[in-house]
Amino acid sequence: MEVSEKKTSATAARKIKKSNLYRDEHRAAFLFILIPVIGFILFSMIPFLISLYASFTDWNGIGQMNFIGLKNYQNLFQDKYFWQTLSNTFYMMIGIPIGLLISFLLASALSRKIVGKTIFRVIYYIPVVSSLAAISILWQWAYNGDFGLVNQVLDLVGIEGPNWLQNVSTVKPAIIIMAVWKGVGYSMLLYLAAIQSVPRTFYEAAELDGASAFQRFRYITWPMVKPITFFLIVTNIIGGSQLFTEVNIMTPTGGPQYASATVVWYLWRQAFSNWKMGYASAISVVLGIIIFIITALQFYMNRRSSYKLD
Amino acid sequence: MINRKRLFTTTVSIASILTLAACGGGGDAATDSGAASGDDSKTLTFMFRGGQDEQKAYESAIAAYETDNPGVDVEIIATDPDQYDTKLQASIAGNDIPDVFYIAQGDVMAYVDNGILMDITEEVENSDFDIANVWEFGIDSYRYDGKNVGEGNIYGLPKDVGPFALGYNKTMFEEMGIPLPDVDVPYTWDQFVEVGKQLTADTDGNGEVDQWANGFNVAWSLQAFVWSNGADFLNEDKTKVTVDTPEFAEALQYFADLQNVHELTPSIAQAQTLDTYQRWMNGEIGFFPVGPWDMSTYAGLDFEYDLIPWPAGSTGVPATFVGSLGIAVADSTEYKDEAIELAMYLSTSEEGQQQLVDAQIQIPNLIDMANEWAADTESVPNNKKEFLDIVSDYGRPMPAASTYTAEWYDEFFINIQPVLDGDQTAADYLKAVQPRMQELLDASIMQHEQAAK
Repeated sequence: MEVSEKKTSATAARKIKKSNLYRDEHRAAFLFILIPVIGFILFSMIPFLISLYASFTDWNGIGQMNFIGLKNYQNLFQDKYFWQTLSNTFYMMIGIPIGLLISFLLASALSRKIVGKTIFRVIYYIPVVSSLAAISILWQWAYNGDFGLVNQVLDLVGIEGPNWLQNVSTVKPAIIIMAVWKGVGYSMLLYLAAIQSVPRTFYEAAELDGASAFQRFRYITWPMVKPITFFLIVTNIIGGSQLFTEVNIMTPTGGPQYASATVVWYLWRQAFSNWKMGYASAISVVLGIIIFIITALQFYMNRRSSYKLD
Repeated sequence: MINRKRLFTTTVSIASILTLAACGGGGDAATDSGAASGDDSKTLTFMFRGGQDEQKAYESAIAAYETDNPGVDVEIIATDPDQYDTKLQASIAGNDIPDVFYIAQGDVMAYVDNGILMDITEEVENSDFDIANVWEFGIDSYRYDGKNVGEGNIYGLPKDVGPFALGYNKTMFEEMGIPLPDVDVPYTWDQFVEVGKQLTADTDGNGEVDQWANGFNVAWSLQAFVWSNGADFLNEDKTKVTVDTPEFAEALQYFADLQNVHELTPSIAQAQTLDTYQRWMNGEIGFFPVGPWDMSTYAGLDFEYDLIPWPAGSTGVPATFVGSLGIAVADSTEYKDEAIELAMYLSTSEEGQQQLVDAQIQIPNLIDMANEWAADTESVPNNKKEFLDIVSDYGRPMPAASTYTAEWYDEFFINIQPVLDGDQTAADYLKAVQPRMQELLDASIMQHEQAAK
């Protein structure tokens, strides 16, 4: 009885001592976590809550907020420009699979022993670190009907190029091409890292078993880089639904017949040109919900077919 | 060991919190330090958008101001044109409004209704600021009586007035042996087509037309045709969209026919490979709009150009628009008198105005100075007086400059391309677009009423 009591008190003491140390470390860890948490609360959470509230008001951005219930949301569903810009936004996401395919191929090529591969890596990565506004202006010039670089190149092979940014049918492809070009370096870098981290032994074993190059790709490389593909698709869709700067600089009025107007561009117009911050907030809330649903769906689908190497 | 670690983490987190806090209050810090450095030292902020020439002009206006007002420092905040509205509204939301700043004509209502702009009527009228020597259009653009822009108290002074004149390629006329247009009598629409047909030609004889009469952008040039034909976008009290009248349809159809029927403009395909602005600069186009801000660029053209009135429709009187930007004072400014005086210097100081005239980007805001400038008929464009006539006589504000929002007006242009391409008649288009514009105008009026409450 006595012994066991002693024993328990000893463990208890040890526990206390241990938990003291833990507590200190926890406190330190907490302080480290606190920094980004405060940043998140100040710069994301509070603006989000204000925006959520504003979406139920007639706020014009500089004056009083008056609560008007669901009016903004009702208007939203009847606003044909909201639907048009939303569909434009999703249309332009065609660039995401194209971009991923190109960057995967580039990464496969650059993971081999090619002369000057460091130079290529740098070249493909430069657009990623360049200012988006500057790039947009450059591409605006490149797409100019007569003097533009794009049409000059097309001219060499005998094609008379259109005035890319002024045509309903070419303005979206023009912006997609630019977005792919801008994003390819980043995806390529991630793919490169993923491809290089696949253990050599897998390929050796497969080769011994007589697997063809395609089979090695299909059953080893592709599944091994799948987490990266998943990550890129999720972040690209989130980024793609927020497309704004390129559109605003290259087609400041939303393009011919609103052909290149994206939903974020439209809500920005509503907020800052038409004094409808409340309405713009409602658009952003709906957009946020759409992005959330898509992302959740992706996580759900990914979990069902995920592959893990322990 | 633990203590040191704890000390470290605490320091880091405190430092980061301080950094965050400093970011939030960054704007105030500047004004505070200005006030703290001595009672007689005051700092005013002036926010604007524009190029280097404008910045230079304002620096000299501000230098003159600071010499005359010892103890006042002016801090210039320059922004990108497309960032300006966003930045200004952010400063309002953050309660850190610049003392003096640019304002667009169309935003006067919203900013006054929400108590952002200061009423400067008394100060302007009672100072030695010579209001009679400033373009009436420039002052009236910033008058507002709580209902309409254009009358009432003064809430801003003009940064500039921008008359949109018609220019023509004098060298081309002379080479083609066509009599020069009369600078005093506008062409009729028929004459304009007639002359246009003479100008549109294949000059090098290779079988392809390489010289055209015109090539106007609908967003900036349609107004001249609509107004001179007795039509307008809005009724007098700005409550009804009136684009569905026969006069309006006639004007828009005439505008589209210049390209589709009379073929006086580069074809759609040609205009798409090289826009008409570039073709005008290459000397391939006879008539093209000219604003004062174009003069510096056009000074480098290798042909001579001059200004004339726009061709006149059924009214026989030419018409065009005058743009303007204003300089306003924030109601929240700490130094009211100093800020108002600064606005006056920026608008009309002779030093600043001279800089802008020398840079060839605007006409002077001071009438006597402008008359003197226009009296020089030797330099190109010879008929500078046309600019002044537009401002003082027949120019009008843009349709959306006097409504609460411009959404109804933007709607007019979004789907207009089929009319310009000749795939839809003007009358059909106008009939379809009027209800949509009216709906947006009604919404704009309602927004205004709510904000004014």
